[in-house]
Amino acid sequence: MGELELRVAVRGQRSVAVHQYHQGALRVLRPHYLDDSGQVCYVVVNPGGAYLGADLFLLDVEVGDGADLLLTTQSATKVYRTPGSFAEQRMDLRLGEGARLELMPDQLIAYREASYRQRTSVTVRPSSSLVMAEVVTPGWSPDGAGFRYQEIRLRNEIRVETDEGTHLLALDNLLIRPPAGDVTGLGFMEGYSHLGSLVVVDARVDQALADELHALTAGHDALAGVSLTRPAAGTTGLVLRALSNSTGELNSLLAGCTNLLRERWQGQGPLNLRKH
Amino acid sequence: MSYQLALQQLVDSALPTGAFAHSFGFETYLERGLVFDEAGFGVWLSAFVSQQLTYSDGLAIRFLYEGGDVVGLDAALSASLLPRQVREASTKMGLRLLEIGAEVFPSAELELYRDLVTTGRAAGHQPLAFAVVARSLGVPLQEALAAYLFATATSLTQNAVRAIPLGQNAGQRVLRKAHDDVAAAVERVAHLTPDDFGAVIPGLEISQMRHERQRARMFMS
Repeated sequence: MGELELRVAVRGQRSVAVHQYHQGALRVLRPHYLDDSGQVCYVVVNPGGAYLGADLFLLDVEVGDGADLLLTTQSATKVYRTPGSFAEQRMDLRLGEGARLELMPDQLIAYREASYRQRTSVTVRPSSSLVMAEVVTPGWSPDGAGFRYQEIRLRNEIRVETDEGTHLLALDNLLIRPPAGDVTGLGFMEGYSHLGSLVVVDARVDQALADELHALTAGHDALAGVSLTRPAAGTTGLVLRALSNSTGELNSLLAGCTNLLRERWQGQGPLNLRKH
Repeated sequence: MSYQLALQQLVDSALPTGAFAHSFGFETYLERGLVFDEAGFGVWLSAFVSQQLTYSDGLAIRFLYEGGDVVGLDAALSASLLPRQVREASTKMGLRLLEIGAEVFPSAELELYRDLVTTGRAAGHQPLAFAVVARSLGVPLQEALAAYLFATATSLTQNAVRAIPLGQNAGQRVLRKAHDDVAAAVERVAHLTPDDFGAVIPGLEISQMRHERQRARMFMS
């Protein structure tokens, strides 16, 4: 079990936490500022090191009007055996007017006999800016074979809230269930081992940007696709999906995309977390 | 028996919804040289029916039959069909089905859905348009599901026969094999939960996204 609440707001030139609460096996490290943009970076830590059966992790994060948060993890999310049960992470994210969130966790590794459900609900305003990246590995078992986990569900629901009402912008629901059949082949993993995903929601997202990011993926050893979501309340989402054979290749592809957005929209340099 | 002929008309491949123009990402595999024969197309069709068609269209039809709010389901489909061309295919064919339905199988429920679409409160997705009409005709859910899934498999197979190309008999053999996938899908739809709605598998989705940038193409999706 673990619970984490974090509320970030603007104070002067910088974004700072105005509320923090944690309980159980989740906490954040001391905040740091990676550049002079005022963006605050928090690193989520799971001192237990892993998710186990029936574990429930709740994260509740709010980025206030105009605030800017980079949220990452200290290390990979590891899900071990969850016999007859599943480990679950529920994350609620709320972005205010002009607020920005970059959510860049380390990769997810589900080991043999692991079941994992991750549900992320995001509410943005039309003027918010959201970037979420994720990498899922095949979770090698001791005998070297991949895809020995029971099930991975990664569900992102993104809503746009205005004073008139709330619109469902994207429902991104990924389900990989190796025992149900061959998940490695055509239509599924296409012979690749790793899956990368990038979701961007911003009023500046358009077809030209989707095409540009797609062109950028061509320089990587990966099979990737990019498409726009439906528009809602003046904003649009973009989803990039990529298959490859290593975490490093996908991280570099996703970093290429997110760094392009940092440079273009914020005038910020490439992200360097210096974790490893 | 009262609905049998109506259901046959509704799922006939001659129903002019424009299904001949959509491959739902299959053409991307064709272009990459990964699907080029009867066996390969069978594998693709099986993945498409057992995954996307089950978790999106099939589940949407069931939820509507169970009294689900058509506006909410319509929005959920628009949000979950992330590849743009697939989303557009669903509403293009849905709008045609709503028009045809209004001509030949009018009902109050269908008028309501059409009204929501014309006033911009709904997009008009094919599985929901089908479900509204089938339900108004008194078609039981299981039969409606099987008919819808098999009709989709049929139009995709006809498209593959033209595009790969395959012989007509090969197309019929693929369809015969699709019976098992359709039956399994009908069974699975009954046991899915709202959390399962819109679940996708990455390869299919990527191929549907990549189709947007394919140079030479016969199909709109």
